[in-house]
Amino acid sequence: MRTPFFIFGIFGIALTLNAQSSQYQDSFKVTWIEPGSKAILPEFDAFESTNGTLGVLNASGPVNTDGHPFFTPLGTNGRACVNCHQPTYGMSVSATSLLDRWRATDGKDPVFAAFDGSNCPGLPQNLESSHSLLLKRGLVRIPLLWPPRNADGSPKRVEFAIEVVRDPTGCNTSREYGLKSAQPTISVYRRPRPTANLKYVTSGGTPIVLKTGMLSDVDPETGRPVGMNLMSDAREATLKTQALSAMMGHEEAHAAPSRQQIDKIVEYESQVYVAQAAHIFGGPLVVPGGPTGLGPAALRDHKAGVLGDNDYDPVFGLFNSWQGTDYYRASVARGADIFMFRQFWLRDATHINSIGLGNPLKRTCATCHNAQMTGQDLSAGWVDVGTTNFPTWTEPATWAETSELPVFKITCSRDADPHPYLGRVIYTTDPGRALISGRCADVGSIVMQQLRGLSARAPYFASGSAKTLREVVDFYDRRFDMKLSDNEKEDLINFLGAL
Amino acid sequence: MRRAWCFGLFLVGAIALGQQRSFVSCPIVRDTKTVPCFLAEYDGEVYYLGIQQDITAEFHPPQLKHEVLVEGRVAEGPRVCGGVPLKPVSISVLKEVNLACNTLRPPEPGIEAPAAPRGPGPSSRPLETAKAPRESLTGPHEFTVLYAFNDDYLDFAGDGVVTEAAAYAKRIGAPSVKVAGYRATTLLSNGNRLIEKSGLDERRAQNIATVLRGLGVSGVTVEWKSEAEPGDGLADASRRRVTILVTP
Repeated sequence: MRTPFFIFGIFGIALTLNAQSSQYQDSFKVTWIEPGSKAILPEFDAFESTNGTLGVLNASGPVNTDGHPFFTPLGTNGRACVNCHQPTYGMSVSATSLLDRWRATDGKDPVFAAFDGSNCPGLPQNLESSHSLLLKRGLVRIPLLWPPRNADGSPKRVEFAIEVVRDPTGCNTSREYGLKSAQPTISVYRRPRPTANLKYVTSGGTPIVLKTGMLSDVDPETGRPVGMNLMSDAREATLKTQALSAMMGHEEAHAAPSRQQIDKIVEYESQVYVAQAAHIFGGPLVVPGGPTGLGPAALRDHKAGVLGDNDYDPVFGLFNSWQGTDYYRASVARGADIFMFRQFWLRDATHINSIGLGNPLKRTCATCHNAQMTGQDLSAGWVDVGTTNFPTWTEPATWAETSELPVFKITCSRDADPHPYLGRVIYTTDPGRALISGRCADVGSIVMQQLRGLSARAPYFASGSAKTLREVVDFYDRRFDMKLSDNEKEDLINFLGAL
Repeated sequence: MRRAWCFGLFLVGAIALGQQRSFVSCPIVRDTKTVPCFLAEYDGEVYYLGIQQDITAEFHPPQLKHEVLVEGRVAEGPRVCGGVPLKPVSISVLKEVNLACNTLRPPEPGIEAPAAPRGPGPSSRPLETAKAPRESLTGPHEFTVLYAFNDDYLDFAGDGVVTEAAAYAKRIGAPSVKVAGYRATTLLSNGNRLIEKSGLDERRAQNIATVLRGLGVSGVTVEWKSEAEPGDGLADASRRRVTILVTP
């Protein structure tokens, strides 16, 4: 007899909380900004995300997109930066949104441009299958010249040979676009990184990179060392060089944009903050007496470049005040505890275990995700945790017919240092930093991502191999044998989803 | 008289060598209720090398999946974490993967890790920043960067040395900064010799010179001694080095 009342009660609570959560949202608002749409973006905006609401804060006030170079096509394919960096999706794009976009435009949206919005430019562009990596995993093609070049254009010394052993997209073996083309090129496929919270992402920068003992890249304008955490392979030094490169690549511009245009893009990117703002059952996340690290305003106000200290000043602040409160908040607080304090054996992770910390290392998630507010690595953060090298822990076996990504075989030369845990022959879907550095020890190392606004921008990892936060947590549980219970996984997911 | 003097020297050397351990083996990780201890076994004895700390600690633990070259001196005192302590101790992770090195032992009652002066690792407290350059330095000064065996990785300590050398050279406007690279031999306790790979002396020197120039030091010259330094089983780790001579 009590069941109907119980169900009704839960339903009523859910409706109330959902109303709280959606107070930020306007169901009729435009969620996909088209280039040249002349929209005015408010100072604070909110968008539906998985289980709640994403907050987007323009710290400099409302943004007029009319003629703004971030929102205006400056190249030849109709694209603007906003195509792949949408406020609705945490200044990135989700695979779901791309599929919706494909259906709404019959594949004509410039985000599907042949150059890198398809699996390979030579494929028939009208077919959905030619864009499968973008539509299924949110992956953009990144064509990289091989071998990599020094700043003066000369080829870099490379410590390994690379072969294509599986090529589902056909691009790496293409005579026109592949490794044996007139301009040898390796195509890898990666998620667009969020262009938000960038004061954190670009912070840091020491003269010598802790992980390699070599000089950091420098800002070509100032000569100062940079943090090298911007791109998944750290190939661009600054927001300006990245914007220019994106213009010439992703937008296929024939002429470089003006200095003013680049400055305006960087100015916009540098003032956008995104974070989850509300939960469908938990309501607003930023509440008096609550955790101080949640919501986009906290990101605006916090100091960048600070190493988290688990005991006194943790990576995302303290969640003590939510312990023992309602179901959702208590779960987030437990998840925060797992992230900060649950020790496990961190092993065989290049540029973590291999830099003098020992293998294995009995530590926590926050050991690597140590930068306050974003959870990136405060030092240059390329790490091989097993998302691209086989065994990848995420992909089908090397030769599986279901494989969607290319597979490369890397053979390290005898006089080079081998990969610390995989030796001299490595199979990988993306050599990562090694495609830029030419170093064997860097094969499969990817610069770690910021952990904010996650609920708005699935799938995850640079390879888009985790469709949900559950798959992310499952990956780490398998990879590092964390022995998480189902309840603990749910707590971690709630915590990550609240960031 | 001269013979007695020589015998005395031999005796001192033999005693010193007797306390010295230089060997290659798989490391052993011993978990405890706090941080893991790192051990290694040689000639029927287990030696304690150190504990997990952070990157700024003097001791950098070895790695499973790799053999380790241990060069240390048997220290006085009780066993630590179940092993005979070596102090000072130099650890070199050998580069090639060895899957046989995979021993991780669970905690055991009565075996405890010593307290970690720098805490258990990253995110437990702020890292110690590199030391500020010594203002008292004057005149010619030689800085020494040490390396693990067969390695040219500039670690956290080496980073501090190069940074200090660069700061000193810039402070005094040194017209000459001479970088010299070396590779060395290790005399193992079993009488075998390990010689670092050829060319490493040059690579070490060139890397340091590149870093110094990148830090704004001018007048950097580079030399290297191709021949490996001899090993005596006592101070071999100190010969795997690059020296930076800053002359006013």
